[in-house]
Amino acid sequence: MNFTQRIILYILLLVAGLSWTVLSAGSTPNSAPAGQSAPQAGFTAPNFTLQTPTGESYTLSELKGKAVLVNLWATWCPPCRAEMPAIQKIYDEYKDQGFVVLAVDMTAQDNPADVLPFAEKFSLNFPILLDETGDVGRDYQLRSLPSSFFIDREGVISEVVIGGPMSEALLRTRVEQILK
Amino acid sequence: MILLVLAAWIGLNFAEKRAERHGISKENINNLIFYGLIAFIFGGRISFVLQNISAFAKSPINILSINPDLFDMLGALAAAAITVLVFVQRNQISIWSVLDALTPFFAILGIGLGLSHLAAGTAFGLPTDLPWAVELWNANRHPTQIYETLASALIFGLLWYKRHDPHPGIHFLAYLALVTGMQVFLMGFRADQTLILNGIKQGQIISLAALLASFILIEIRLYQITKK
Repeated sequence: MNFTQRIILYILLLVAGLSWTVLSAGSTPNSAPAGQSAPQAGFTAPNFTLQTPTGESYTLSELKGKAVLVNLWATWCPPCRAEMPAIQKIYDEYKDQGFVVLAVDMTAQDNPADVLPFAEKFSLNFPILLDETGDVGRDYQLRSLPSSFFIDREGVISEVVIGGPMSEALLRTRVEQILK
Repeated sequence: MILLVLAAWIGLNFAEKRAERHGISKENINNLIFYGLIAFIFGGRISFVLQNISAFAKSPINILSINPDLFDMLGALAAAAITVLVFVQRNQISIWSVLDALTPFFAILGIGLGLSHLAAGTAFGLPTDLPWAVELWNANRHPTQIYETLASALIFGLLWYKRHDPHPGIHFLAYLALVTGMQVFLMGFRADQTLILNGIKQGQIISLAALLASFILIEIRLYQITKK
């Protein structure tokens, strides 16, 4: 292929690419699939209503306007135990700026009697919720414990961290991101 | 992550085999990959720390944390690229020959990336009614991860077929043009893209610019070769 033929080929390919870019534009209303809920970054966080061991009720959608960390955990899970002190420390640091932690115990796979002693042992003062039916685990397509969902003030998942333990620095960077 | 590591290992084996054909010793290519990888890992972490210095100031021990999420990909790539450049200069190896030898590594890594997107459900597609749509994140969507994997495999196949190109650097630049062209096309089906002016996907614009750059580089390289 000589120089002229190559230049013609380049121009044709670039024009085709540019046309496709324009043609495929606006296929979604914005970068986030608005209104759709799924446990994935960019989607609205699946809603749930759960109770604490003392009977207090929390609904995720009612926390719109706040930055939320939904942490799925269980008392028998070593990395869940390992990251709890860091979560508590970050919660204390940012709660006044509108940061909320919802620690959802996978009660369907856990011993409910262990939950309160666990919270006391680690001096946790954020809401510990019980997923007794396993519905939240299913809705969040739980693959591994712990799993953490960082949700911005609009209720959209900003970041998903599968596995742990999360370090303080990781928590701090992600929380500062969702507080913006 | 496992799929990416596996792809990198297979790719490195291919690169090692190709290296001698490009006049690079096995030892040199192994050392280059080793130093590049070390720079990639440390560069990614250092760049992340520098960008989030206030977060680490309160818990400096976390700089050594094993969390893979504390990582900046652009910083990692820049550190690896600088290390490779320094290595080839010090060992007087042609950078074009190195890039040609590493092309199968990049191409196989591309296949691994598509498969890892498929496993994680990331880089997902727009909703569609097409018969081959897959149900993902509560909708029937374009299986963009499968498109990406197949296109990457096709690029690898094409490059393998054309692996005896006598002009150093053209093999790698052709890969660059193919992969950026693929991204321009496939990103049109993606639903996770940042939109800019009138809904145009930012990723497509960046890929178009990279495609144009690769064409210019091909012509510059061909000019340099014919001048010699």
